[in-house]
Amino acid sequence: MLERLLTEDIAQQVKDVFEQTLQNSVHILFFGNELRCEFCQPTRSLLEEIIPLSDKLSLDIHDVELQPDIALKYGVDKTPSIVITAKENNEIIDYGIRYSGMPSGHEFTSLINDIIMISQRSTDLNQDTLEYLKTVNKDILLQVFVTPT
Amino acid sequence: MNLAHALAFVNPFIQAEMIEAMEFPDLANYFHVSGVPQTTINSGLGTMVGSGPEEELINEIKRVLALLEFKE
Repeated sequence: MLERLLTEDIAQQVKDVFEQTLQNSVHILFFGNELRCEFCQPTRSLLEEIIPLSDKLSLDIHDVELQPDIALKYGVDKTPSIVITAKENNEIIDYGIRYSGMPSGHEFTSLINDIIMISQRSTDLNQDTLEYLKTVNKDILLQVFVTPT
Repeated sequence: MNLAHALAFVNPFIQAEMIEAMEFPDLANYFHVSGVPQTTINSGLGTMVGSGPEEELINEIKRVLALLEFKE
């Protein structure tokens, strides 16, 4: 058996947090490819360890080379990629939330926080920001470069 | 809370991608990433370095949208 990425302690902590915070379902799409992708397998394994920590979570695994149509539909142009969505009445709601690369270190916390945000279907954004966002009606792409530590 | 992702969650026109710079060094170099986090808006029309306050990113988005208006 492969070594687990999350220690038992961390897994239990995340499970406890999920129990206290998750409300609605969250659906995660993973995009990888078999070849030339050093971080695909560990990223997939990480997600496969997170998903069982709550019954509100589900995961689809996609291969960008075998399923280019699905990758195109979600605008996925890198591997590994993670798309975090909601699922309501079997329909995927894509908010435009993506991770490119493995979310380890700091980004692991971000991933957990994103899952909580989507599950609660609410943010901590301040009122001014929320008011301003109502006026944004042109495509904006935010690419946030991060490093694992 | 992940600010960029929260903005994407609220507004359907906004997409937000967290990119591991070390896994995608060509893209990071292309956008001259030297400090992290760096937020690049619309492929370089706007940039914010560091995890500043909410207003700072909103102001940079406003600047990008003004540029887009000007181009039209």
